[in-house]
Amino acid sequence: MVNENLVKDAVKEPYKYGFVTDIETEKIEKGLNEDIIRLISQKKEEPKFLLDFRLKAFKKWQKMKEPDWAALGYKKIDYQDIIYYSAPKQKEKISSLDEVDPKLLETFDKLGIPLTEQKKLTNVAVDAVFDSVSIATTFREELAEHGVIFCSISEAVKNHADLIEKYLGTVVPASDNYFAALNSAVFSDGSFVYIPKGVSCPMDLSSYFRINSGDSGQFERTLIIAEESSSVSYLEGCTAPMFDTNTLHAAVVELIALDDATIKYSTVQNWYAGDEAGIGGIFNFVTKRGKCLGRRSKISWSQVETGSAITWKYPSCLLLGEESVGEFYSVALTNNLQQADTGTKMIHIGPKTKSTIVSKGISAGNSKNSYRGLVKMGTKATGSRNYSQCDSMLIGDQASANTFPYIKSQQANSEIEHEASTCRISEDQLFYLQSRGIEFEEAVSMMVSGFCRDVFNQLPMEFAAEADKLLALKLEGSVG
Amino acid sequence: MEIIEKIKTNKPDDNLTEIQKICLHKLQSSPLPNPKNELWRLSNKSKLSNFLDYSVNKKDSKFDIPYPKNSQSTIRLIIGENCQIKLINKNYSIQQLSEDELQKYIKEQISFFRQNENWSDLLNLSLSCKKNILGLKINGSKIPPIEIFSHASSNSLNAKTLVIFLEKNCDVELLQVNLGKENSSLSQSTFFCLKENSSVNHGVVSYGENRSNLLNSLNVIQQKNSSYNLGTLHFKFNYARFEISIKQSAGNAKTNIKGLQITKRDEQISTYTKIEFNGPNGFLDQINKSLADNKSHAIFEGSIIVPKNAQRTDASQLSRNLLLSNLAQIDTKPQLEIIADDVKCKHGATISQLNEEELFYMRTRGITLTEASKLQLSSYFQEIISFIPISKDKWDLLDKLLNEN
Repeated sequence: MVNENLVKDAVKEPYKYGFVTDIETEKIEKGLNEDIIRLISQKKEEPKFLLDFRLKAFKKWQKMKEPDWAALGYKKIDYQDIIYYSAPKQKEKISSLDEVDPKLLETFDKLGIPLTEQKKLTNVAVDAVFDSVSIATTFREELAEHGVIFCSISEAVKNHADLIEKYLGTVVPASDNYFAALNSAVFSDGSFVYIPKGVSCPMDLSSYFRINSGDSGQFERTLIIAEESSSVSYLEGCTAPMFDTNTLHAAVVELIALDDATIKYSTVQNWYAGDEAGIGGIFNFVTKRGKCLGRRSKISWSQVETGSAITWKYPSCLLLGEESVGEFYSVALTNNLQQADTGTKMIHIGPKTKSTIVSKGISAGNSKNSYRGLVKMGTKATGSRNYSQCDSMLIGDQASANTFPYIKSQQANSEIEHEASTCRISEDQLFYLQSRGIEFEEAVSMMVSGFCRDVFNQLPMEFAAEADKLLALKLEGSVG
Repeated sequence: MEIIEKIKTNKPDDNLTEIQKICLHKLQSSPLPNPKNELWRLSNKSKLSNFLDYSVNKKDSKFDIPYPKNSQSTIRLIIGENCQIKLINKNYSIQQLSEDELQKYIKEQISFFRQNENWSDLLNLSLSCKKNILGLKINGSKIPPIEIFSHASSNSLNAKTLVIFLEKNCDVELLQVNLGKENSSLSQSTFFCLKENSSVNHGVVSYGENRSNLLNSLNVIQQKNSSYNLGTLHFKFNYARFEISIKQSAGNAKTNIKGLQITKRDEQISTYTKIEFNGPNGFLDQINKSLADNKSHAIFEGSIIVPKNAQRTDASQLSRNLLLSNLAQIDTKPQLEIIADDVKCKHGATISQLNEEELFYMRTRGITLTEASKLQLSSYFQEIISFIPISKDKWDLLDKLLNEN
């Protein structure tokens, strides 16, 4: 028999990113009303169209009900008890990284995010977001040479208002769901990426989200537009300090891929998950959606979800263009009292569209890990195909693993295949590895990493090291 | 919806049995299922209200059995017609359940019922009069095959209930046939209790005529070491809903399910299954096939629940679907909810059309497209039909399905 405590210990790893940066911040008062939204908009010196967008979203949000269909249980969120804007105080305008508060640089340095001297060693451009605002974006000049725009969304609103007005809310409309409406009303910052026609982005782009205060929510918005025949790989990472209160994170990500464009979006999510008794942790309600507008366009989501007390996240693809491709690769690890309800939606609208779903869920402790996915073939999706695979691994007899795939077809000339399985760490394999002199913990890691290999192979090389560090399990050698 | 109005008003009526009163009371606050509930979300609202539009039938019309009796030994029962059943042989006995036994068991079941999940049963039991409830206790071995018929007459709603206790070490083959006449609604609820070491091959064949409706629910409790094999076929209903709930009350039991549903024209047929393992070493092998043609809609939702005490459960579920028309639609949702860690659970789902390569191969060998399609369909149906007991040799269901328009 496997000693269950040993297995449990093997998946336990203290949260390394739980420190708080002591920095003076500017916060607005708690609560949510029209005046707060006007204040956020005013602070960010936004044009009128954006204020109208926010107010419209707020009106819709007020009429909506918080969804309760997910297999999640959490205490009611008081939306009036949250600070919707919090920013570290710094000089009015930053012209170079040297002017950024050293405390902030130190914070990101501690997190292993290259903003300063390290940046030269890596080939990744980073947009670092601290609470409600973007602190710095690296490699901007180099990117600009290729015509690539990579900046915070606040800057984009000022400098590229036409693009924002044209695309914002076209993939995830403000009325899409409760949390998307909330985000549309109060979003503070996030990243904006524009890849012009025919450009293959010379380096990976990355944004790093850090929540620092315990009483403010983070509502970032990311918009990526890939013009015809362009391609980009975008990486996203997140951490937060340890507080015994729950912090709300409700983000929206919109991707648009035109003819022959490719967007690869990778996430390593490691928000603070709460302690062993389930106190504290981030409530993560995220709406991520990509629109494959053009012919032969491709959007690929890969995610490693290890943090958050509650995860509610379904990165989706709307496959409109003929022969467009959607992909979703996910590893979700839950431990202690974490709850995750995550999956994807592949909506096949155009003909000859293809989608692949590979989801791996690992549940340990008293956690709950659910895969919820929708595959839909519309009436015009002739010759379309989908393949889904969701595997769950259970560690200990207190954790639960659920699979809820919704499959709907209205097109006879299309094919959908779905398979799911549940297993645990096989005693035979464990015994075999141990008999070859491999330590127990290492053997468990090897097996978990083998279980996740299909997904890790999809992570970009540059991200692999970070993902490895962030993952609560030791997954040596399997990444990249 | 006359019936719903009646439920809402719930006038005191001395003719009602205690069970009817309990169920009416349970339904009174919300007589219809919640259309937003996951189990009713996809159900066609106008078809369901069409189901409820007929008034309850008080008197059954004469019933013609659809196929000749194939052997003298077969036991045939028609719900609503057989009043006294007492068959005692040296090897076996089949007896009617006493009123007390019946009441006690049904009441116990009702106490677990939930409004949306068991709405079909609550409706059935609130409408089913004493005459239309058949309770049987089966004991012994070498029991001849049993056929039980349930039918609905035209322009009326008929509610029939069947309760079967299968005693220890008992082994039986049982075919249940549900028939709907033109413009009729049939509500059929079946309760099965399998005691230790018992085994049953259960077949359910339901077919209707023009615009007939069916609400068919099957509740099975399996005790230790019991084995339950179920083969089902549903076709030719304007609206049919088949709900299967199986509980392995202490694990260590075997369940095999093979189901087929065929929808054509603008029909909607759905199957909802819920299998709960309440103890260790449970086994499940389930396959559900659907075929949707014309403008029809076929639905399958299957959930497998494995709580903490159900270690070493081995469960697999497969949903295979054929979509033959661009106006038809198929929804399928196999679900797993697992807490025990030492389990083998898997499910799969496919939606596709007839295999073009196979069709092409057959056509190159001089077989017409129509014949080739029929051949493919017959192999698709055969796997399920051969699993339905009794009927397989004498009642040519396959022929009926392939030549059905």
